[in-house]
Amino acid sequence: MSRHSIEKLDLLLLILETIDLNGIQSIYAFSNRLNLNYILPNKVTIWKLRNNNPLRKSYVNNNIKLDQFDALIKITVEMSRYLYPYIREVLQSKEDIDINSIVWNDFNKRFIELIKERLNVDSMRVKKFLNQTENEEFIINSLLTLSLCISNKGHQKLKNFLIDF
Amino acid sequence: MMQNKLSFHQSSVSLEIIGLPDYSNNENKDQISIISQWKLTIIDKPLIEGKFEHLGPIMDAFYIYSNLLIKNEIPVYESKLIDIRADNLYMHNIVLKSSKPNIKPLVLKIGNSLLSDTINCFDQLNESSMVRIKETGLSNKIPKKLKFNLNYKNKFFNFIIHPFIAICSLIIFSSTLVYFYNSVEDKENNEFINSK
Repeated sequence: MSRHSIEKLDLLLLILETIDLNGIQSIYAFSNRLNLNYILPNKVTIWKLRNNNPLRKSYVNNNIKLDQFDALIKITVEMSRYLYPYIREVLQSKEDIDINSIVWNDFNKRFIELIKERLNVDSMRVKKFLNQTENEEFIINSLLTLSLCISNKGHQKLKNFLIDF
Repeated sequence: MMQNKLSFHQSSVSLEIIGLPDYSNNENKDQISIISQWKLTIIDKPLIEGKFEHLGPIMDAFYIYSNLLIKNEIPVYESKLIDIRADNLYMHNIVLKSSKPNIKPLVLKIGNSLLSDTINCFDQLNESSMVRIKETGLSNKIPKKLKFNLNYKNKFFNFIIHPFIAICSLIIFSSTLVYFYNSVEDKENNEFINSK
């Protein structure tokens, strides 16, 4: 797996966690629901895998296996399907910002909080995420990616996108 | 004969497919293989409808455009039937051109939420076992998986080509040195050293 693919996948999960306040627990619950316990037996395993993202504070370069990467993609797709109405609402809030600015601002604030908590803020790329005007493109792009992968073949779609990334 | 009607919904968008089963293929009476008409309804926007031959190119246009968007490439798609381009990060401008003469093109502006609803409707149609869509023959009908495989082969080729050229040039360069090597002189030198 390329570093970029893992980085992108972890950031997509971070976007989902921004919507779902109990994100870590939800990721683990989806892993159980999808019968992925044999690959992701506990939250620590998931955390360790996600630490392969080079932008993380606690970055560790473990070789992530294809089935582990695949399991994380399945969870991301399942969560996106479940959270689609909220993803859509955040996307829509930016379209008519005058009417719906609260949703977008709340989302952006929480996203920045999560970034500060999890990622290495000394990195120049992470600094971009912390700026409310500069992170707009990244957030919209990520939300759009998640919203386009909710079909039955969404897993393959997201995998193609991430590996090609 | 009664036509079959199938609908696919996603939030503010719905896609209706009207057609008949192909009885010559012993298909189920609920199936649609011969599409006679389709309608795409987007809330608060004019109805989009057309013949079967327009559906494939329009679906392709949306898929290609969304791929350009998420891959951060220039989001512009232009064809005889449909143009899609981004106004900004959140709004997309769609121009649907009629195949009939003297009919003005239909211009729509949709946001990211409606764009994703529309593509999700197309996904449902593609994945439905009740509707069989024949290939449109468009160049972009290469399956995504295959696209990735082709890409992967290219990446592998790019990865292997540089070391291969390096090894080849090393062999060619070192083989030319054989012509400069004089074995008789070398033998004499060795004898001279030994006699010392």
